[in-house]
This record gives sequence, C-alpha cells and structure tokens, in this order.
Amino acid sequence: MLQRPGAARGVFAATGLPPIVWLLALFLAPLAVIWAYSFGENRTLVDIAITGSWANYARALKPLYLAILLKSLGFAALTTFICFILGLPVALAISFASPRAKLLLLLAVMLPFWTNLLIRTYALMAILRTEGLINSGIGAIWSLVPGLGPFEPLPLINNNFAVVVGLVYVHLPFMVLPLYAALDRLDRSLIEASLDLGAGHLATLFRVVVPLALPGIVSGIIITFIPALGAYLTPDLLGGTNSQMIANVIERQFRSANDWPFGAALSFLLMYMTFAALLLQSLIVRRHAGGAP
Amino acid sequence: MPDRLSRRAFGGLAVALALGGCARRWPKGANGEEQRLNFYNWDTYTGETTLADFQAATGVEVNMSHYANNDELFARLRAGNPGYDVIVPSNEFVTRLQISGMLSPLDHARIPNRANLAPEFVNVAYDPGRRWSMPYTWLALGIGYRKSRVDGVPDSWKWVLDSDRYSGRIGLLAEGDDLIRLGARYLGHSVNAVTPAVMEEVTQLLIRQKRHVKLFHHDEGQDLLAAGEIDLVVEYNGDIAQVIAEDDDLAFVVPREGTLFNSDCLCVPAGAPRPDNAHRFINFLLDAKVGAEITRTIRYPTPNAAALALMPEEYRANPAIFPSGPAMARSEYGRFQSIAHIRAVEEAITRVMAA
Amino acid sequence: MRGPLDYLGRWPLRLWLGLVGLFLYLPLVALVAFSFNDSRRTTVWRGFSLTWYRELFADTELLTAFGNSLVIAAASTLISLILGTAAALLLWRFRFAGKAALEAALGLPIVVPEICLGVAFLVFFTAIVPWPGELPWPFSLGAIIIAHTTFSFSFVALVVRARLAGFDGALAEAARDLGASEWRIFRDIMVPHLVPGLVAGALLAFTLSLDDFVITFFTSGPDTITFPIKVYSMVRFSVTPAVNAASTLLILLTAALTALALWLQGADIAKQAA
Repeated sequence: MLQRPGAARGVFAATGLPPIVWLLALFLAPLAVIWAYSFGENRTLVDIAITGSWANYARALKPLYLAILLKSLGFAALTTFICFILGLPVALAISFASPRAKLLLLLAVMLPFWTNLLIRTYALMAILRTEGLINSGIGAIWSLVPGLGPFEPLPLINNNFAVVVGLVYVHLPFMVLPLYAALDRLDRSLIEASLDLGAGHLATLFRVVVPLALPGIVSGIIITFIPALGAYLTPDLLGGTNSQMIANVIERQFRSANDWPFGAALSFLLMYMTFAALLLQSLIVRRHAGGAP
Repeated sequence: MPDRLSRRAFGGLAVALALGGCARRWPKGANGEEQRLNFYNWDTYTGETTLADFQAATGVEVNMSHYANNDELFARLRAGNPGYDVIVPSNEFVTRLQISGMLSPLDHARIPNRANLAPEFVNVAYDPGRRWSMPYTWLALGIGYRKSRVDGVPDSWKWVLDSDRYSGRIGLLAEGDDLIRLGARYLGHSVNAVTPAVMEEVTQLLIRQKRHVKLFHHDEGQDLLAAGEIDLVVEYNGDIAQVIAEDDDLAFVVPREGTLFNSDCLCVPAGAPRPDNAHRFINFLLDAKVGAEITRTIRYPTPNAAALALMPEEYRANPAIFPSGPAMARSEYGRFQSIAHIRAVEEAITRVMAA
Repeated sequence: MRGPLDYLGRWPLRLWLGLVGLFLYLPLVALVAFSFNDSRRTTVWRGFSLTWYRELFADTELLTAFGNSLVIAAASTLISLILGTAAALLLWRFRFAGKAALEAALGLPIVVPEICLGVAFLVFFTAIVPWPGELPWPFSLGAIIIAHTTFSFSFVALVVRARLAGFDGALAEAARDLGASEWRIFRDIMVPHLVPGLVAGALLAFTLSLDDFVITFFTSGPDTITFPIKVYSMVRFSVTPAVNAASTLLILLTAALTALALWLQGADIAKQAA
C-alpha cells in the first residue's frame, strides 16, 4: 500500500523537501547547540565550555529532580484524563452538528484561547480567589439560609487543585480539536448499525466510536499531555507552595540561575523520556493495526 | 471555496507587504547618529511625558520596550545586544553585566547632571566611581501588611519567616536569592555573608516555615495584598506605596533586623548602536525637573537630590516610600558573589519548593 | 423529527456542553467585566468606567504589539499549514529510508520545553545566523515567524495525519487510473477530505502563535514587540485593565468576523453539505 519514492519522484520531492529542509536548518541546527551545551559547563557568566562531561545529567538524575518530574507526570496525566472526559462529548457533539453549527461550535471552543494566556490565567484567578466570584456567590447564597453560621471561603486557589483546574482550562482545545478531526470522518453507518442492533448509546460510544477514532484519540492525548507536562505559568500563578513542576525548574535554570548547561540537560532528559514513551506508543499502535486484517 | 479563500489571503498579504514594505528613514542628528533611541526598561517606570519631553528637547524619538526582571534582561542580552541603547539593571546585575563585558563605560563629561545625585549614590560598592551606571531609583524590601488583620506592627522578619501566628496568610517573594539573603539577615548574618552553612540553615528555616506560607509571588505581592488574598507580604516599598494610595488599611514596614536594598541603574549596553544619544538621554533623566516629573508618576524613592527637593512634602515624608529608623542603618545592598553561589541558591530554592 | 445521531438535540449532551461552556466562558466574563473597572487593579471591583478603553487607544505601543502579533500568527499559520500538510502526506504515502527518524524529528518540536527552544533560537539568531535587525516591517518579524512556524507545523502535521489515516486510498488510485494529475488529485480529492484536519490544524497553529511568550521573547528585538511580550512585562507593576480592554476587543472582533464569515459562507457550506 505504501509507495516507494521512485514511483512518484515529483510528489516525493514536493512533499518531502520543504518540511525536511525546514526541520534540519531551522530546528535541528539550533537545537543541536543546546544539546551540546548539556555536555558543557559554565566558565564565566556567559561562556560555556563544551567539555563532554556528564555532570549535568548526573545532577539532573538526583532524587530531588526525579521527584519533581514524577509529580509533574502526575499533574499532566490527571489533566489529560480530565480533558479527555470533558472533551470527548464536546468533540462528538461538534462532529454530528450541522455544518453551520459545526463552525460556530469550533470557534466557540477556540475563542477563549485567543485571549492571552496570562490574561486568561488572571481572569481564572479572579474567579477562584478567596474573595472571588465563586466564593462570594456561594457566600451570598449561604447567608440567605438561616442557621448555617458564618461562611468559610473554599480554598480554591494556591493549591494543587487550582493547578489542575488551570491546566485543564488551558489545554482543553488541544484535546477537542484532534478528537473532532478524527470523529468527523467516522463512517456514520457503523454507528447507526450498532444502534439498530440494540446497543445503547454508551455501549456504542465505547465499543464502536472509541476504537474507530483511536488514532485521533492518541494524537489528542499526546498533544495535551506533552504541553501540560511543560506548563510553568499555571503552577506559578495558581499553585501554592508545593505545586512546582519540572518546567518551572527548567525555566529557572535558563533565566534566574543563568545555568544553561544544566537547563539543557534537564530539557533533554525530559525529551529522551517523552521519546521513549512515544516509541512505546507507536509500537502498540503498530501491533494493534497489524492485528487487523 | 479553498481556491477563492487562498487567493483572497494572498491578495491581503500582498497589500500588507506593499503597505509595510517601505522602510522608515530616520534623519541624522548633529552627532551623526539617527535621531532615535531604543530604551529597554521596566514597565511603568517613566513619567507620563518623559519620552515626549526628550523628543521635544533633542529631536530624538525614544522607542521603549520592557522586561519583567533582571534575569530576563541578562538572558536577552547574553548572546548579543539586539539593538538596545539604554538599559536599567539593578545594582547586582550592573556587576554581572559589567564583568561579562556586556556594558560600555560611561563618559562622565557627557553627563553633567550627575551633580544632582545625593552624595551616598555617587560612589557605590557595586560600581566604584560610577564608571558603568547612573542610579535611577532605589528600593527596599520589607513587609507590606493589612493593619486590621495583623496585631500591631510586624516589625520583624520573624512574622513571615519563622512563626505560625499568621499561618496561611503570608506571601513570600519567589526570588530565591532575595529570600536567602533576607533569611540570613534574620538569622543575624550580613546579606553578603551567605556561606554554604548559612545557606543550609536558611533553607531549613524556609522548609519549616513553608506550611504557614500561602504562596510565593513574582513581584505582584501588592495586588494579592490589596485583594485580601494574603495579609502579610514580602515586597518592595514602592509597590506597596502604590496600593496604600488606594487602601489606607495597608501599611509597610522595614523589619528591625534590617533589609536588602536595591537600586535600578541606567547603563549603556555594549554594542549600543547610538551611544551618544544614550548619554544625552541618561543626562536628561538625571535633570532635576525631569526626575521630579518621573518620581511623581512612579512614586519610588529617587537618588536624585535636586529632583527630591522639587517634590511635595506628602512624598518626601511618606513613611512607605522613605522608611526610617534603625532598621535602615542595618540594611545593605546585595553584592554579586559567584557562579557557584547562584547555582547553590537555585538548588536550595528548588528544595524548598519541592519539600 | 430527530435522527438517532442528532446528539446535539439530546439533553445530557446539551447539559454537558452547557457546563463545559460555562467553565470556558466564566473567566472571560470576569475578564470583560474588569475591563470596565474603575481601578488599576484587576482584582477588586471599584465601579464602572471606560478609562481603560481610552487608555488603550492612546497606547500606541500596545496597539503596535497587537498588530505584530496578528501578522505573525497569520503568517506562521499559513506556512505551518503548507509544511505540516506536506509532511503528513509524505509520511502517509511513502515508505523510505529514514522515515522513522523523520517521524521522530517531527515529534520533537512538541516535546521540547518552550524555554529550551527559546534559548536555541536566541543563540541561533544572534550568534549563528544573525537576523538583520533593521529590516522594514513586516520582514523584521521574520525571525519570530520562523520560530513560530517551527513549533506549530508539527502540530498541524500530527492533526492532518490523524485525519489521513481514514482516507480511502482507492479513490485516489481510481482518479490516477483515469488520468488525473497528482495536483488534481490533491486539490479535488485529498483537500476536501482533509478540510476538518486543516481547519483544526490552522486553529491550533494560530492559537499557539498568538499566545507564545517564551520563544518570542528570545527572538524579538526592540522593534518587534508582540502582545504577549508587552503583557508579561507589565506583571511587575500589575497588569493594567487596558490589557483586558484589548482582549475584550479581540473577543468582539473574532466574534464579529465569525458571524460575518458564517453569513458570507453560509450558502457555500449549505451547498457542500447537500
């Protein structure tokens, strides 16, 4: 089924050259410099000597940093899971809507995200804070009911709960868009057949829709999980005193600590791990696809 | 439909290019430099008419862009100056930039207004003889607090660093270096004598205190205090002075153990394309009237004695802007120590945050 | 009359959409409200005022930054769409040496921490291939557009590829047998099928570009300030509600453009659906 390049040389060159040249010249080349830094050390405040030492990686593998990484993985996984649960029905609704409503709903999902991230986070803070929208709303209702005593504001901000809420808020469209792109091409007749044969809507969803849309679901999970793992602004602003994520640590190395070699080592360690995970995922998908006739 | 759309998009792009493609020509001034200047500054850190006044006086148009902290400034200039003429680093970063060869020396002959500076700012430890920098403002860290929610005046670092009295209502600055130095000061050391042993002691102190701390802020402590999110916050005097103007239940104190001073300074980065305009601009900012106009807007303490003399009593006697008392005598400017020290501070603060 | 697949008409899904909508839009309501607040702070309500809108239109820096951001987002979306679609087609259609390496390299921009990529571009554009600083606008934005394209075209490729996975190759095969050129096949068969993926990819790329701070920070100079750069620099002295006002206007503008597009394209879409 897959062609060899020789079969359509022109098409191969037209589709292959631009992205490959771009990647090599404008992405891999700059990144290679940083990769080299991860084997270097600071000589002065601005000079980095590439010494070929593994010291930065050794430091990055200390329990202190591994524990932070583990915690970040947890945050990202929880965020991805919640985004999936929230986003799947939304994507489903969009893909089954009329063309006009489809465009409208897609833009409605995206509109909040054309507002600057910092501004959006500040707006979320205005809602969650101790004297914010939610607490004052509940407080107002509370005071209407006699005999409840004084209202204790809910701790909605500056804790790990707020970080997850913020991460879900920021990453939801990353989940909805790929899910929609995948669901939209489903063969409707399969779903109708399943319903006609007496399966319920939920059973159809999990037995027919989800397996068919698996590639889209996987790409949705990937492009939600990875950026969530790299979030630093959300934990910074919404988090409490123990919400530090690995990206905060990396960001501080490059900016406040002025320690580019160590920042580079931490970044590449994160990338190696993500790659291992992606490789594993592609193996699983390949086996899954191989099993089908 | 896609065809039509893309044709329309290309048409739009072509129009945009045609409109924008004409480069702006800058006339040359008498000094042979283009009549413009790139000023890299903190946000809301000039007077309302300062830049327009400079243009009226010299014909030089100032293009100002902003950074949020010294680390950003340093990181941005580290690989090379992308075209800035005047920058405003704080004292410790004047040293860092200078020893890294990222500043060009100032020509004092072209800055006659340096005579306006108060005597204590003329010769400073972080820049002996002021070869590289001219002071613009100075700042003191202290505790901003809500009077109705705090017993008396919290005039010791103890209340934010070593006590459960205000548990869950404290905000600390997220700047690792400042926190460690203040902790050292509280434990009786100089802010410039943070040995590895002292650093470990402060780290343990912060880890112990953390469960009483509500959050670490990035210099937006005044907002959190004003919003009632926290009742005590480690912040700069100028920031708290701004919110006191809106809410008289707020106050500022420099704890009796003494504090860390900072001073933001005007410098010319190495490779500045228009050094003569840069000198004229720095001289202009140090003018008495100009300095007073800036100070009226930003309300930070000014090191410019001539400008201070033009300020109203309300500003000069403001205890939040000019804290006084024995605490001030026990305060110092932070000095740059070493690369190893920066790394140790970073790791200490990562440990505190992860604990 | 409701078909079995008319999910939008069922109440559980409507409720769900409503709740998600509330979650997405409640902060926006707060944002818009604070743009009318009579205080510098975006935290405490002090009464209605239009001060910030007046301030916004007097603030040429903010408006310029805003314009730069829109131009960068539009340009990088366009390039990302082309590069990303090409990459997706290549990987979908061909088997060749180094394919796995290309796939991995395509995944990298999504995986690299932003700050790391930012520093990489900083070194690249100042020390290795200096981007001339004095180019006329909009070419002065080139470095930023390149950086944004680099991280967003992988996202486009990923989404388009997921969409291609469901494409029936036999259709293209049949067209080819009937003598259609590759370009015709691409334009008349592939593109119509890919539209949802292209739309989703373009929306992602546009959003990523419009919101990027870290990478832009390291590639921008004194004359190429973008909206996020401007906003982040305000943090030290608290974000002024002028920024909320700008965001409110952007929301209104998008909503208006959407309505216009819906109205203009309504006939087209109806035709397509038929």
